Amino acid sequence: MSTYSDASAAIAPLPKARRATGFGGVLPALAFVAIFFIAPVAVLLLRSVLEPVPGFGNYAQLIGSATYLKIFANTFIVSGLVTAISLLIGFPVAWALAIMPGRLTSVIFAILLLSMWTNLLARTYAWMVLLQRTGLINKMLIGMGLIDKPLALVNNLTGVTIGMTYIMLPFIILPLYGVIRKIDPSTLQAAALCGANRWQCLTRVLLPLAMPGMAAGALMVFVMSLGYFVTPSLLGGTANMMLAELIAQFVQSLVNWGMGGAAALVLLVVTLSLYAVQLRFVGNQNPGGR
Amino acid sequence: MLLNFDRLGWWKYILLTITLLTAAFLLLPIVFIAALSFGSSQWLIFPPPGWTLQWYSELFADPRWLESAWTSFKIAVIVTVLSVLLGLVTSFGLVRGSFLFRDALKALFLTPMILPVVVLAVALYAFFLRIGLGGTLIGFVISHLVLALPFSILSISSALEGFDKSIEDAAVLCGASPLEAKIRVTLPAISHGLFSAAVFSFLTSWDEVVVAIFMSSPTLQTLPVKVWATLRQDLTPVVAAASTLLILLTIILMALVAVVRKVLKQ
Repeated sequence: MSTYSDASAAIAPLPKARRATGFGGVLPALAFVAIFFIAPVAVLLLRSVLEPVPGFGNYAQLIGSATYLKIFANTFIVSGLVTAISLLIGFPVAWALAIMPGRLTSVIFAILLLSMWTNLLARTYAWMVLLQRTGLINKMLIGMGLIDKPLALVNNLTGVTIGMTYIMLPFIILPLYGVIRKIDPSTLQAAALCGANRWQCLTRVLLPLAMPGMAAGALMVFVMSLGYFVTPSLLGGTANMMLAELIAQFVQSLVNWGMGGAAALVLLVVTLSLYAVQLRFVGNQNPGGR
Repeated sequence: MLLNFDRLGWWKYILLTITLLTAAFLLLPIVFIAALSFGSSQWLIFPPPGWTLQWYSELFADPRWLESAWTSFKIAVIVTVLSVLLGLVTSFGLVRGSFLFRDALKALFLTPMILPVVVLAVALYAFFLRIGLGGTLIGFVISHLVLALPFSILSISSALEGFDKSIEDAAVLCGASPLEAKIRVTLPAISHGLFSAAVFSFLTSWDEVVVAIFMSSPTLQTLPVKVWATLRQDLTPVVAAASTLLILLTIILMALVAVVRKVLKQ
């Protein structure tokens, strides 16, 4: 009898009085995240206004120094370049994937996913070797007669941009693919019927309809690039430091927690505000940066 | 017509060319590394003058490589188990429960996915220095779990959302205890979510570099940290061999996911 009443209680819609059901389930994770995520990050940020002396001295120093400003500028330039190039390449690819016949599409999807999931260091290492002075890319360019002597492709802006674009491409192609797939072909037929030529169809119908996806994808790539650490520090030279590496350097080699925390806060604020912008464009589509 | 491949006219060929070039661009480094790892040139000349297994034997002869691979594996397995268990309990709470700030909590659990990893790495580094967990296995596990848990919660809760709770209730009605119904009815039904949670968690931990750089000590480092440290000194082909093995593992795991998804769908 009691089993029966238990079951009917389970089937019945949740009574309003039992408000906080299931909270016990999230408690362990909440405790874990609070202790090992929120608290450490909060403490780090606090240290930026407490060390070495309380106040905003660290921030003044960050903004006041030409070296640090150059690193901020470089971070934004690299991220902007990577975003622009990814968008330029990613749009046609996503478009083709959305309409191409099945077999080829699945092969290209497999390649996309493989490159996305292949170890980051393995891919970065590959580019370090490929882009060397004596590397395959330089050899091919010389072989084709395009250049006489090897170009400097690594330890500079070119290297970082190539390596990061390579990593970000799947992150822009996949969401764009989803958006273009959802566009109703009849809107384009209607435009054509009304006399639009191919170019007009592209610029006045397809591109505007794909715009939310492009904006979301571009923002995501931009934000991920801002916080990237591994690829820029291996492919960029010392003259091309980015924000993430600056944070690491403050903490690891200079043991300056105040400045490290201040730089981290700058990165966090920019990241979170751009995510807030993205959430307004289209709901949530992650994943985060390495 | 722009969305009909056959009616694109000559635009079709432009699109196709860009797509194939991009696919080649994405594939190039992966194939290149695999080829180099068998090349006989120490200077990473391509095409290599000959083929050899020398770099693999160097890799397997060096106890430090093996040790770091074993460390990585241990950490990844522990992280996977914890991440799936914690993700499961949390997802039940998030999907089935009803309490204040439920959506806000879910968003909070997913934030480690979007925050720049370097911030978390530096913050945990400071924290662990203070409580003596820096350079320890527990420190690694905790920090990787912070990064893996969001993937786990996301996969499991979306599987749970797609599961019709009345089936579980029916089991209870037929005499199963609520726990028994969950274990024998609900868990098998959401096993694809559990499986992706496990794979994502494993790969997140196994491939993690940034946090690991800060967590590692001279005596305890993961495979990616070992690769990182080696790369900073020189571009030896041994790294190509290590990288190829990492890539191989990724392909195996991806194939496994594809197969398991197919099986579970039937």
